[in-house]
Amino acid sequence: MLELLTRSFEASTILVLAALGELISQRAGVLNVGLEGLMLFGGTLAFITAQSTGSYILGVLAGLAVGGFLGLAHGFFSITLRGDQVVSGMGLWILSFGLTTYIGSPYTGPLGMERIQTPFGLSPFVYLAVILVAAAWLLVFRTGPGLAIRSSGENPSAAEVSGINVAAIRYLCVTFGGMLAGLSGATYTLSYNPVWNYNFLGGWGFTSLALVFFSMWNPWILLAGASMFAAMWQLSLSPELVLPGILSRYIWRTLPFVTTIVILSIISTPWFRTRWGLARPEALGRPYAKE
Amino acid sequence: MKAGTGRVRRPVPAPAIHSPEGSSIPGEPILSARGITKRFPGVLALDRVDLDVRAGEIRAVLGQNGAGKTTLMNILFGLVQPDEGQLYLRGRQVHFRSPHDALTIGIGMVHQTRKLVAAHTVLENLVLGNPGARGFLNLARARREIGELCQRYGVVLELGARVWQLSEGEKQWVEILKALYRGARILILDEPTSVLTPPEVKTLLTGLKALVSDQGVTVLVVTHKLPIVMAVSHAVTVLRSGRVVASLRTDEATEQILVRHMIGKDVSLRLTKAPVEPGRLLLQVEDLSAFSDKGLRALRGVSFVLREGEIFGVAGVTGNGQEELAQVIAGLRPTAAGRILFDGHDMTLRSPLARWRLGIGYIPAERAEVASIAQFSLVENTGLNFHFDRAFSTQGFFDYARLEQLTERIVDTYDVKAPHLHVQAQNLSGGNLQKLILGRVLSRKPRLLIAHLPTQGLDVEATAFVRGTLMETCSQGAAVLLISEDLDEILALSDWIAPIYEGRFAAILSRGEADAETVGAMMAGLRSEEAGAP
Repeated sequence: MLELLTRSFEASTILVLAALGELISQRAGVLNVGLEGLMLFGGTLAFITAQSTGSYILGVLAGLAVGGFLGLAHGFFSITLRGDQVVSGMGLWILSFGLTTYIGSPYTGPLGMERIQTPFGLSPFVYLAVILVAAAWLLVFRTGPGLAIRSSGENPSAAEVSGINVAAIRYLCVTFGGMLAGLSGATYTLSYNPVWNYNFLGGWGFTSLALVFFSMWNPWILLAGASMFAAMWQLSLSPELVLPGILSRYIWRTLPFVTTIVILSIISTPWFRTRWGLARPEALGRPYAKE
Repeated sequence: MKAGTGRVRRPVPAPAIHSPEGSSIPGEPILSARGITKRFPGVLALDRVDLDVRAGEIRAVLGQNGAGKTTLMNILFGLVQPDEGQLYLRGRQVHFRSPHDALTIGIGMVHQTRKLVAAHTVLENLVLGNPGARGFLNLARARREIGELCQRYGVVLELGARVWQLSEGEKQWVEILKALYRGARILILDEPTSVLTPPEVKTLLTGLKALVSDQGVTVLVVTHKLPIVMAVSHAVTVLRSGRVVASLRTDEATEQILVRHMIGKDVSLRLTKAPVEPGRLLLQVEDLSAFSDKGLRALRGVSFVLREGEIFGVAGVTGNGQEELAQVIAGLRPTAAGRILFDGHDMTLRSPLARWRLGIGYIPAERAEVASIAQFSLVENTGLNFHFDRAFSTQGFFDYARLEQLTERIVDTYDVKAPHLHVQAQNLSGGNLQKLILGRVLSRKPRLLIAHLPTQGLDVEATAFVRGTLMETCSQGAAVLLISEDLDEILALSDWIAPIYEGRFAAILSRGEADAETVGAMMAGLRSEEAGAP
């Protein structure tokens, strides 16, 4: 049972880190549907770097760097070139999927390093994620720059005439979001499941993306949603430990994803949106052109 | 206000102005522009514009649409960079790379379209971008400071309310306060009265005068409305086609002089509909209700009748159920309750096409988004009202030749200025597009025409043309349901006037009973007894 809980926390950390970066990026108005790709790339390069240098820290840095770089690239397409953000994001995902499969295939297999130390039984990434959630909440809702970020995502032209550099804010946020996605991938391959395989995430990035919408762009709700999903996921891996003999494991396996679909369907109904959905950044996904 | 922002260069006095009209305005300029030229692709928006604004005055900048007023103001605010020319603040040359520079130096701007974040609170909007909001937000302090500011200017605002809950007049004050809270000493207002009710306009103008006389703020008001110029400004600069054609003191000007400068010729502003013998009963609306897109009851039991040859004017600020009223009668929105009788037939459940065939024509308010398709040519846009017409197809294929002939006829008759018939609609100016739409709808000879904001954003000439056409249509026996925010337009054209507020008619007044004050008060939600109406 304790094992299940700690594993749930570690799994939720992966979702939280990626989704938190995406949340900030979306708050500034940039949608990156290629989140999964950024995580794949971050995780793969972190794995390779850590394995070849023997240093976890260098691995994490590599994940951050490649995630940040891809975020920056997405920013270039969607902010400077004012391209379609969905197309750019999908492009990044497909590119990352292909390239990581190619680059990583010689490294297929376990990391082969001593496990990361776990203070109080949890990986350090878990603590980092919780700190980041609190920091993100403070940033977004309690600071001037956070107000500038939210305004850039709601009404960029209002932000611009208030003397805010919308393009700079969006670049910063989308790059930061990319870095967190890279970190999230590194958390997966270095700590949660230190074995490299092609497409090792299998949809966790898209789940993170869904979680951002689920969270109504609030970091705390995001943390709760990620924990719930991760707990269901861990349960589905070995349901017989907790609830022996109830339902087949295949049904347990689909449960987290079915729940995600159901929740997303509910929150995208007009009924829900008129009642709760005001949180959605008004200018999300729309390129901003100065008049 | 600090001048040392790094953008202030050597103190060079602004060169003397070459006033085109010779009428010089005394006093020391606080803000000057010299030789400002701005080109947009294919357009010379501003051509060597000189402007001197005196400290502590209200300066009106008058001009038609496309005269370059807004571009000039955007340059003064740093939102647009001029291709040539210099700006001087108190005789020192300044350069604005972005609004941030202009704000730092004490210039604030209230834009024509609201630049507020609708989902945020008033307070959050007021502190957005403020230098005091760098790190953690101290909203308590901001609330105190803004409270004092509100008190000083006599403004009542709920700082915790979300901006989308505010009326247009309140939003405008939020924008003005935002500029003042940032320390603006020069305030630019772009078409500040365009969406306000008459009482709100009054409050605004009184407030502006107080700002200038009590606080020494300098105000620039951009407008194409002459009464505003005459009511508040000390001096007026007239722009036409990107050039300054006149700069004069308001007390030396008359509306007629200003119109001549603005348009370059005399235009009769005072069109009024001649009263007609009312014809037979055409439209009967009984207790009509409808829901808005958000599912709220936007139209709440409206009844009226309309006879042939009459114009029924619905006066109100946008968002009080007018859109729903127009759409329900045109058949584009389901009726929640009530009946629509057209020429004795119950229309309530008929399709929009059936209504069109019986002679109900509709000119939507959003001419570029709803009434036309931006990427379609003029011919294709004309076809939007004829695609169902057998006369324009042969064996199921569209007869483009006939449609072209028709389009040509419309373009000629309605004086649509377009390079050719196959140009995309988005390349037409608002006035020309509206003339095309008007011509398209009228060439089907509707018996009832629903015209929603038919002259919104049009220049003086196009406005006069559209109004003239509506009156002519009536004189030929059609009826018009005119829905407008422009009180002058309603009063000039309508036989019956119905001020609408929150989905209900405050009253239905005949032309003789209606005056601007009464109707204006009713539009703002005062009940008929309070407004002093019969």
